[in-house]
Order: sequence, then structure tokens, then C-alpha cells
Amino acid sequence: MGFKKEKRLGLAAFIAMAAPLVLPISAKGEVFELSSLANLYEGVSFDHDMHIEAVENNCSLCHHHTAGTPPEDQTCIPCHKNSPEAESPACSSCHLIEPFSSTNLSISEKNPLRHHKVKPGLKAAFHLNCMGCHQETGGPVGCQDCHAMTEKGEKFYNTGQYTPKAGNETAHH
Amino acid sequence: MKKLIAEGFQPIDTLIKPNTNNPWSWKDKLFLGLTPQEYMKQLFRNPFNWILAIIYAVGIPILVGRFVFGLGWATHSSYDYPWGLFLGWGLFVMVPLSASGFMMGTTVELFGRKDFKPIERLGLLNGLLGYFFAVIFLQVDLGQPWRLVYPMFVSLGPAAVLFLVAWHVATYLSVQVAELVPAASELMGWVKPKKFIKSIVLGLTIAGIILSTLHQGALGALFTYAPGKVHPLWYSAAFQWFHFFCSSIFGGLSMLIVVSTLSKWFLQWRCDANFTKNLDKITLGIAKGCSMALITYLVIKLVALAHDNEWGYLLSGWGQLYIFEITAGVILPLVFFTMAIRTNRAGLARFAAFTAVFGIALNRLNTALITFNWQLYQEIPHWREVVIAITVYATYIVVYRAVLYRLPILYTWQGDSK
Amino acid sequence: MKKLNRRNFIKGSLAGGIAAATAAGKAKNASAAGGDFGGYPDSMGVLVDLTKCVGCRTCEAACNKEQGLPEPDKPFDDYSVFDEHRHGGLPRRTTEKAYTVVNRYKVEGREHPLFRKIQCNHCNEPACLTSCFVNAYTKTPEGAVIYNPKVCVGCRTCMIACPFYVPAYSYSSPINPVVKKCIMCYDTRLKFGRPPACVESCPQGVMTFGKRKNLIALAHEKIEGNPGKYVDHLYGEHEVGGTSWMYLSDVPFEEIGFDTHLGKEPIISYVKDFLAIVPMVLCIWPALFTGFHLLSTRKQANQEESPKA
Repeated sequence: MGFKKEKRLGLAAFIAMAAPLVLPISAKGEVFELSSLANLYEGVSFDHDMHIEAVENNCSLCHHHTAGTPPEDQTCIPCHKNSPEAESPACSSCHLIEPFSSTNLSISEKNPLRHHKVKPGLKAAFHLNCMGCHQETGGPVGCQDCHAMTEKGEKFYNTGQYTPKAGNETAHH
Repeated sequence: MKKLIAEGFQPIDTLIKPNTNNPWSWKDKLFLGLTPQEYMKQLFRNPFNWILAIIYAVGIPILVGRFVFGLGWATHSSYDYPWGLFLGWGLFVMVPLSASGFMMGTTVELFGRKDFKPIERLGLLNGLLGYFFAVIFLQVDLGQPWRLVYPMFVSLGPAAVLFLVAWHVATYLSVQVAELVPAASELMGWVKPKKFIKSIVLGLTIAGIILSTLHQGALGALFTYAPGKVHPLWYSAAFQWFHFFCSSIFGGLSMLIVVSTLSKWFLQWRCDANFTKNLDKITLGIAKGCSMALITYLVIKLVALAHDNEWGYLLSGWGQLYIFEITAGVILPLVFFTMAIRTNRAGLARFAAFTAVFGIALNRLNTALITFNWQLYQEIPHWREVVIAITVYATYIVVYRAVLYRLPILYTWQGDSK
Repeated sequence: MKKLNRRNFIKGSLAGGIAAATAAGKAKNASAAGGDFGGYPDSMGVLVDLTKCVGCRTCEAACNKEQGLPEPDKPFDDYSVFDEHRHGGLPRRTTEKAYTVVNRYKVEGREHPLFRKIQCNHCNEPACLTSCFVNAYTKTPEGAVIYNPKVCVGCRTCMIACPFYVPAYSYSSPINPVVKKCIMCYDTRLKFGRPPACVESCPQGVMTFGKRKNLIALAHEKIEGNPGKYVDHLYGEHEVGGTSWMYLSDVPFEEIGFDTHLGKEPIISYVKDFLAIVPMVLCIWPALFTGFHLLSTRKQANQEESPKA
């Protein structure tokens, strides 16, 4: 017994589209554009595949326990030894863009989980996690090694075309 | 002036011209009874005025520059060293040396020691001019001097020590002006003001003592805001205010001896017999007061070292500076004052007074400038700061001299007519 | 009616006095006992974790933009500033153009240099506030110590008083020189419940913003939970009465430019003894010296009354 041809096609298409959502994100050639924080710098083209290889499939090095693997930090083991994969292991699902807004502060204040009381914000989480490892393994550590500065950034840092002109220095007091 | 006196000139000391019924005009009083031309001539002859001319030629443009270009141009005041010579010298040194006002007022009016009356007015004048020019120095130093009255009428910060200093100096200046009204009244021929002041003189004197105790102490207390920044040998949380108050007693008295000595040497023609005859005796009397204050100060200084267990610091480089200050500025004058009193030598007392004044100046400069930020680095005043300080101090001397020439301070007013 | 003789009067006064004192004592706010302020209860604060700072100077740039400060002398991504020294070989400090600076400290045995951010520490009982005679400073309930340039006379006592050498002065301005310092972005952010610009801009999450009392707990948890990582001291918890900005470090604080001899007393404690003498003198001196006058001029007065041998 067989499905009609159209129905088979539709099913295949559905499976193809849904696959990324249900299968582990380890498809080859995955490069994520991390651009939710892009402002002073461009977004980051993050080669997830390369990193999976680099950590030899040990997801918890970056994802703590949210990828279904036990965490590296011994403090977390008592509760998360056998934690399943989280609904979304993406960094942004736990690490907030504005961790210190009054709303988020009042939420985190009431958080009974001692170790979750202060999570780094998303920007800090990226840098702490990524650069921490890069420093040990010889990966890129300079700002522009991962993301180019935008013009807004040049204005912010008074650099590039916005570099201060010589001769205007204030007297030393 | 000496030449004119030798020629028989008699400066004004009455309201009516002698041998006439005509009163002296204000112009006459201004020029001491000389014609304007005669007055200018003696002005040019005086070599001290040539030095003043040079000081002003250099100083006035720089003083103006301070207000045009700002403090950054005129001083080495920095973020680490906010206070420099203007406050260090003009406020912290000049104020204790001007304590003679309340000292003399208390001696004569409160304790009834009329034998000090010949020098009382000089003490009051020294006090008034010293405080007045301390305020001038303050105005030169303040970032926004036009806001001087803010702590009084615009925005009050009563818990601050400087608040107390501001109010007290303002009030005390008024008291001192009032105390000198009798002298001015004699010269100007006013009757009611002199009588009025005489009736409230006890109240004014007590007000002067209260205000002086507190603001002399308050200037010391200002440094308690920076406990780590002043070297421990010069800093004492418990006794700082008393160090400054006690040293102001002998500071003001010694400065009075110094000024009376300078008047004796350079304004001989202006001093009358009442002043000159009694001066040596009065000097020794003042010396007794100075020596009491000096020994008290010395003991309290040592007690302060013991209180905070700072003896170890005496062995350092700073310790040597401290020992020098105590020896040259406290022990030396104390010994000389005592010797002078015992051997009845006014000249030695005068020398002691000069060393005591030096000691006060050194102590205040050490506390405010030299040992301040002792753990950071040393800062020296900008040359422009020095020039401005000299210019303002020269003006103080000029005004001092102008008043001494005219008001009956060194001489007794002879009444309405002779 | 009971006879109002002396005994009854004294008894009544004592009883009344004790009653009044007890009533006042009960009514007195318990937290005011001992004269310690300790900060507003819901004061915000910032915890600075120096183990995370990499010296990128983004915080300096953020502050510069948020506070509308003038253009810096060098770009904020120019790291030669870490080699700059001021008088006496000291590292950079806050200036009229820079409310916060980051300095680098080479520490022996530590793989990377330590970077330290300096800014106003927003003390609970600020020395600047206590020394200001025009009341230009205010400690806000949100925790920031802010400054009103409209009343500032320019006496610079606050600069003398600050134990952290924070306030700067715009000496270069002849017309309107004022004190310049970090205000924790009060006007633009803190008032509205938002963290200061430097905190938000930091890519490494060096600074944690929250209620001061929570940050103290958090800091001690961090120290306990990472044995050996941090020096067992939260700088600013008690120094000079406690500050809103506090520091954790893996290097002893005295090696990285912190003054560890400040003591726990707020600066005003050193001045209070003198402030107490003021009313004492005002009350005692008039009677004391009037007494002296009467005693010492007795002879004179007697002579004046009976001018005869």
C-alpha cells in the first residue's frame, strides 16, 4: 500500500523542514550568525561544526548541562549529573541580553537556585566562554579577530576615522 | 618721612588745625597734613616703595591672568593636590598670625590689664588686616569666588567644618571692624559710634574669643577629613584642632611683637611717647603669654605622639623635618622668651618672636602642603602662584602701612584740638 | 494639692525626666542607634570581579559617551595608555575628562596582567558629602552619590577629603570650573532602574549590578564557592563605612593600588569630635569669660565704687 505521490512529497518536505528542529544540531556545514548584539561590532560568524570537532564532541565545555551531557563544573554535578537536553541549548535561551534591567533583576533576585542567581548576560557569556577557551588553546582573542568594528563602533571608541587629532590634549593636572 | 620730621613737620593728630579754628579736611587727613606734592615726594624717596613697584609690575598682570585663564594656568593645583600656596600661606599661615586681635581685646577689656592698652589697637589692627587678607587670598583661590556667600544664603551644608570657618570668619571680621571703630571715630571726628562700641566692648570681646577658638581650631579640623593624607607626625584625630588653636595664641602674640618691632624700626616718626616708652615692658609681658602657650603646645604635641604611638616615625626623613620644626619653631622661641623674661631683655624677646612666627609658618606649610600626600609624591607651587602670593601679601603690607600712617594706632589722638 | 516643697519638686522632675527619656528611647529608630548609617536599605551597588577584566577599556568609552565627556586624548582601543604615568610614577587616575579609568598591574606569578577599573565608589557615608559646606553632594536612596554643580564654590575640600582620590576639578575653565566625577549614571539611567553605562557595556561581565546587600552575599558565595581563587576579602564592604562599588580580586589588594589602611570608620568619624566641641564652646565660653572678667576686674570695680583710701 502506498501513499499518493503528492502526499509522499509533502511528507518528505515536512520531514526535511522539521529535521533541524528535532534532530541534534550537528548537521555538517552549520555556521551560525550570532548577531543579536551587533552594534559596535558586526555579528559573529560562528562555525559550530569546527567547534564540535575542536572539543571532541564534549558539548558541556560550552553548553554546561543543556546539551544533555554532564557539566564540567563540579559545583553543578549534584543537581545536573543526569540532566537531559534542554529545550533549546542555545546560549541566548538562558543568558539574557539585558540581565540588569529592573524586571530581570527582580526575577533573578527571587531565583531560589543559588548558582543561577546571577548568570552573566549574553554578551558576557559569549566572551567569557569563548575567550576563556581561546586563551588556553591559541584561538582568536583580539576583538576584531571575531567581529569587525562597525562605524558606530569607531565613533564609540574614538578610533579609525574618529581618532582624536593631535595637539588638543588637556593639560596635565 | 624721617627727613620731614627732622625738618619740624608734625603729622596730624588732632581734628582742628593747630593755632586755627579750621578742621582738617579729609584730604588733609589722607596726606597726613602734607601737600599732595610733598606726600608724593616722600613716597618716591622711600626705597621700600621701589621694591613694591617691582612686585606690582610683575604681579598685577599675573594676578589678572589668574582670573582670565583660570587656576590651571596660575597654579600647580591638581586633582591630587587641590590646595596650594594661596590657601597654604594666605589662609593657614596668616590666620593664626592674626590671632592678636582677640588676644589683645581679651587682655585689656576682659581681664582689665590696662597696662597693655598702648599696643591694644595694633593687635586689633593686625587681626583685622590679617583676616581680611586671608579672605582675599581665599577669593583668589576659590574656583568661583563670586559664589562666596553661597554657604550663607544659598545652599547651606552645616555639618561641614568649612561652613563653620566661613560663618565665623565673616562674623569675626565684623567684630574686628567694630573694635577698630573707636580709632576711626577719633580720626574722623565721629562721637556716637565710638560711644556705642565702648558700651558693647565686653560683648564684642567675648564674641571674639568664642569665634576665634572655634575657627582657629576648625582650620586644624579641616585636616581631619584626610586622615591618611597628612603625615602622622602632623596629624592627630583627637588633638588636631587644639594644636592649631594653641599655636594661634603664641602665633598672634608673636606676630604682634614682630609688627610692633617693625613699627619701632621703620615708623619711628609715627609712634608717640606713650607707645615707645612702654613698648619694652609690654613686649616682655606679651612674651610671658607666648611662653605659656608655647610650653602647653609642646606638651600637647608630645602627648599626641604618645596617644597614637607615633614615636617610630621620628626616625624617618619626615621625622627629621618634624624635629627641626619643633626645635627651631617651638623649643627655641620658648627658651629665648623665658631667658628674655628672666633677664629683662626685650630685644631677645623680639628675636624669639621672629623664630616663633617662623615656627608657625613652617608648621602650617608642613601640614597643608609639604607633608600632605606624603605617601604619593611632592608638589611644589607654580612660580605664578608664588608671584601672586607675594603680590597679595605686599598689598597687605601696603594697606597696613597706610592705616598705621593715619589712624591713631601707634600714636594717641590728642583730642579735638591742641 | 500637695505642698510644692523642694523635695517634691525634685522627685517630680526626676520621675518626669525618666518617663520622657524612656518614651524617647522607645520611639527612637533602632537603626539609628550607634550613629551608623550603613547605606539606604535598597541601595543599588556594583560588584567588580577583577579576575575577569581584560583591559579592553570599553567601559571608559561607554562612560565618555553616556556622560557627554570631551574627546579623549587617545582612542579607547589604544592600549599604550597603560604605560602612561603621572607625577610620582603613579598610574592614571580619574580626571575632568575621564570619570573612570582602567589601569594595568603586572603581577608576578599571574599569567596575565591584572586590570583594575577605578571610579567613584559611591560610599555609604561619603567624605566628599560630609566636607561640603554648600551641601553640593547627595547620597541618593538608589545608592549613587551625585553632585550639584550649580552651588559649588570651588573650595575643593571634597578633593582633600576623598580617601580614594576620585573627584577631579575642571581647572582649565576660568568661568565655570566645577568638580567632575562618576555619578553612577544617575540622571540618565539609575533613576529609571537601569544599570550604569559601564556595567552594561562590559563584554566580560566584570561588573554585576544589583542591590548592595545581595551583592555582598553573592561576593561571599563566590569566595567560598571557588576556594583559592579569590582573596578572602570583599573590598568596599566595610572600608570607610562601606561603599556601593565593591571589588573581588585574586591578587592581594595592596599589590594592585588599593589603600588597605583606610579602616572601617567613615571619614566623618574623624571629624565628629571637633564638631562636638563647637556647641560646647558656644555654650561654655560666654559664662566662663564673663566670669573671668568679673573676677579679674573686682579690684578695679571696688576702687571705682569707693574711690578713697
